[in-house]
Amino acid sequence: MSTQLRLDALRGSGVIAKPHNARTIAALTRNPGCTRRAVMDAAGVDKDKTAAATGHPASIGKLSPLAVARGQGFEARVKSQGGAELLRLLRENLGLPIPQAHYLDLGGDDDSVIGGRYLRSRSALAASADSGPDAGTLFDHPMLRLQIAGVWVYLEPDMVAFRLEDKFYIIEIKSFAIVDGVADPGDVTRAAIQSSVYVLALRNLLADAGHDPNLVADQVILVCPKDFSNQPTAHFVDVRKQLTVLRRQLARMADIDRLLDSLPDGVTFDLAPDAHGLPTRSAADLAHALRSVEARYAPECLSACELALFCRHDAHDAHSTAALGRTVREELGGVDCTSTAVALGTGTLVPTDDLVQAAETLRAAHALRTAILGQLA
Amino acid sequence: MSTLTSYARALAAETGQAKRLGTVRHLHVHDRPLVIVPLTLAGETNAPVAAMAGSQHDKPTVIVAGQPRMRSKRLDFAAELAEVVLPFITECAQRIEYVPTGRDGSEMRTRMADAPQLWVPNPGGISYLRMLGRMTRLRKTVGEYAVPLPVPEMGKWLTWFAEQSEFADTSLLQATTRALSGVWATGQSSVEDGNLAALMAWIAPPPGQSGAQAARRAEDPVTCPPAGPSTDPTFDAVVLKPALDAIDKATSDAARARLLQRLADDLTGQLQPTWDLVWQAIEALRAIPAGNHVPHRWERDRDNFGGYYQHLASDGRPQARRDNAERSARRLNDLERRLALYDAQRAFDDPMVMAEYRMGGDAFCGNVIHAEPDRTVKPGNRRQLRPLIVVQTTDPLRLLPGDADLTDQQRPKQTATILDVQHSGTATHVTLELSGSMGRGLTATPGSVPERGGTVTYSRLRTGYSAPGAFPDRDSIPWTHGGPPAQHIATEDDAREEWS
Amino acid sequence: MADPLGIEELDQRISEVKTEIRKAVSAQDFAQASRLRTQLRALEAQWHGALELAESSVSGKPGNMQLPVRETVHQILTLLAVPAAPRTIVAVHAAFFAGELAGSQLTYLRRDEERSFRTAPHGRPYYLCSALTYDRLTAARGLIAVSSWPLHRRIVGTLSARVDYLRSAIKLAEHIDRTDRPSPAAQRLLWQVAAGIPNASASFGDARPASVIEAATAELSVHDDDDRVQREQAARRARKQLGDAEQLFGAPTLSAVRKAG
Ligand code: SF4
Repeated sequence: MSTQLRLDALRGSGVIAKPHNARTIAALTRNPGCTRRAVMDAAGVDKDKTAAATGHPASIGKLSPLAVARGQGFEARVKSQGGAELLRLLRENLGLPIPQAHYLDLGGDDDSVIGGRYLRSRSALAASADSGPDAGTLFDHPMLRLQIAGVWVYLEPDMVAFRLEDKFYIIEIKSFAIVDGVADPGDVTRAAIQSSVYVLALRNLLADAGHDPNLVADQVILVCPKDFSNQPTAHFVDVRKQLTVLRRQLARMADIDRLLDSLPDGVTFDLAPDAHGLPTRSAADLAHALRSVEARYAPECLSACELALFCRHDAHDAHSTAALGRTVREELGGVDCTSTAVALGTGTLVPTDDLVQAAETLRAAHALRTAILGQLA
Repeated sequence: MSTLTSYARALAAETGQAKRLGTVRHLHVHDRPLVIVPLTLAGETNAPVAAMAGSQHDKPTVIVAGQPRMRSKRLDFAAELAEVVLPFITECAQRIEYVPTGRDGSEMRTRMADAPQLWVPNPGGISYLRMLGRMTRLRKTVGEYAVPLPVPEMGKWLTWFAEQSEFADTSLLQATTRALSGVWATGQSSVEDGNLAALMAWIAPPPGQSGAQAARRAEDPVTCPPAGPSTDPTFDAVVLKPALDAIDKATSDAARARLLQRLADDLTGQLQPTWDLVWQAIEALRAIPAGNHVPHRWERDRDNFGGYYQHLASDGRPQARRDNAERSARRLNDLERRLALYDAQRAFDDPMVMAEYRMGGDAFCGNVIHAEPDRTVKPGNRRQLRPLIVVQTTDPLRLLPGDADLTDQQRPKQTATILDVQHSGTATHVTLELSGSMGRGLTATPGSVPERGGTVTYSRLRTGYSAPGAFPDRDSIPWTHGGPPAQHIATEDDAREEWS
Repeated sequence: MADPLGIEELDQRISEVKTEIRKAVSAQDFAQASRLRTQLRALEAQWHGALELAESSVSGKPGNMQLPVRETVHQILTLLAVPAAPRTIVAVHAAFFAGELAGSQLTYLRRDEERSFRTAPHGRPYYLCSALTYDRLTAARGLIAVSSWPLHRRIVGTLSARVDYLRSAIKLAEHIDRTDRPSPAAQRLLWQVAAGIPNASASFGDARPASVIEAATAELSVHDDDDRVQREQAARRARKQLGDAEQLFGAPTLSAVRKAG
């Protein structure tokens, strides 16, 4: 069976694959060791709906409409009037020459011609790469694409590709503030990984048009509000590390057949929706299918994967030490299960050969606790 | 994290109950702390929506910003909060005490008899106060964009509190989740411990429920609203955004007033559960005995409070936007020194903390099985008293012969050098040579050297004074390091930045 | 029917129903959520009714003497002399006009104008219409223009956004220069615009009309020729290829063609 058919079967009858965007692609890199997630993402399974159907609805992915409105407002402001604010920043900070004030909006209200829009973006950027710097400066909303598990995924980024001398840069506009030159590190990391998706996709586009992909810089320009104002400010962010992580995960997904081979025959995450789109598949049956694919739950999943509460539930049932944190597992000598750890500590369990050393440490820990804390332990 | 805390987590997970990490708490709990529970508008930089603040559990002040999307209104909110914060700080600065100083303690200096202690629900609350401080401290009180005097005043204080909170050993500003996690281990991950409701559910579950069960229930954002500063996204979608839109569009004052009242009630509903949890947490922590060094550290907190109070009274300039090279270097040095001291004090106050060092092999505890208190050596031309003891321990020792500068807590000024380490069965025999703090002559003062049969714990931890690093003074900083630091003066830009 | 609820009770009910909605949304029970939303709308309607009842003695909104929206927008566009986005129009309005203009009032403006033109072509002295993209001659996203302008001024080429920004800056500066005592809002707007032009403002918050005009003219001279060539070529093409309505409101997009077909 072809990969595509196998993935279709996983997703279920007549269900359209859930579209990816930079955020979901960025999220792919968050728990690369997890097979369950890799196959579901490759097949475009709606993890949100799946989680709800198991009785463990996702707690992530909800965006406050207030945050969304703020983000859109800031972006519109930065881009308005031919990116007047952007030009000011680029001229002041990067010495962009005055004649280079071209602004081309490659976006359209027209979603039905995605392939056509990609071609338009490609020819505009290729034309720019072919000629001197006068052939374009700012390219808003270019349509890009990336291959994920053998399928082309189109990205409609809210970003601007920017040409300076012979390099292209990704400009990412975010509405978190940079106060006195410092931004929240978590926000910056998230922006960096998303931008790296665009860098990679823009490189693909240039390569596709027969140009050197390395024309795209591995530094991106992050534009954020300055201090407490609405004025934008710009900073370079190096995304080399993120690119490496992303490439590795995409390569892993390209090799999805290997992972699919490891699944039991006939497994599917089909929710068998009724006429109203409500799942008719029983929660138990669905959970059974999910469990047939290996997972690797860790607390980080809580902020990265829609299935986290389902997987956490299983991890707790298994008394998993990793559910308490990856470092906890390490510090317990790599013991997988909390009951084993405690039994080794209290000495009620005789360690197997591989756990002798861990058992010694755990016994010492237990002895110290009882000796010192006594009643409190 | 360490093996002991991880083991405590495993125990908690197995039993469904939170486990104590140590015998004492290491933070000071004030009789009358000031609790602040803030909420901000998602997606904005420091747009206050509401806050609950006060120093009595049953008398919170609720502050609601009716139009948080309007920048100018954010300063109105700050002005209201200042009315709670500043009087509280002033009240703590009412009395001073005299403490001996100088070499022989014959001179006297003053110290604040009290200091304010602030509590917020979580580290996010500290960031919030830092941002609010940054937003308000540079505002001008005269001229075009003038704000009321208390606004920058509070801004300076909040900035100061946030700066202090970076020191591991201060009790001036507490994030409740962090304070609790220092005392209890839960059977969930530290990520989940960041949720105050879930953390408290482990520590004090409702009757009839295990900590694990209660924590799962506490994760429902509808029944247990997030402890902020961000609100629950579905609350934003269903309640907050429609309310703000309706207030903006209201066609009459009466309608606006009613809508504001309803919003205030809804926001109070989001704040109240967290407010109660913070107070519950403070009580739970108060019930744990304090470590011996806690009062000493609180004295230093009071000294620092007095110092900044004086600074504001005499100079009053706000903190600069960024630290210059000199101040950063000093600060880094202070952070490290105070952290080292804090680690040592905690280990001496709490055998469970010392146990971490013992498990790691950097400390050992055992019985003295042999002692030669009057041993002398003659390395040069003068004979010196160098007693010798042998300690038997079962701790996993990582120290080696030749390792010096070890001390036992009971004799902080006496140092020991390891001469020999012998393993016999499960026990280890450590031979130590001692020097210092045993009188002047060639015979040790009775009791100054550990006796046979006594219990000792040796480590490299020290609680003594350590000198701060040396730094060039202000004017001699080379230009390569930014030159002499600029004194910050509030400018027009600072006053205007909100509206630009 | 039971007694209508008092306004306090309604407030309380509304809060309760909203909590129920949040629960339903969290549990992904969208059917329940939509039932509750219907309930909520009914309660809110009652709430407005109750409020009006309470206020009926108070007089209503004061009558206003504002121009119709399309007139106002026309005046602003005439002042700027370039195609502009709603947010720009709102900003200029706030600086020079009394009363309020909300961005939402402009949402359907162009669509209404197009409908009017198609039912009775050329029935009005002017229409608020689209600017056209230089390559595909479709309506440029989010820009409003005036039909009486020469076609090439309504074309958006790759440099046009910049050129138009500079042109409108000059127009604004001239307008403020003519005004007796410009409002602080107008001066702020001028400064904001000047901040985007090299050498246009002396210091933070300070922009003089003369220096804005000088600086904008200087940069304009860099781009103007290239821009004009691109625009005029496109305008010639548009006149040849497009009908009257399309020249004003843009060539149909692909999907529109498909829908029609
Ligand atoms: S939540 Fe489950 S499926 Fe998702 S990444 Fe974690 S372990 Fe894998």
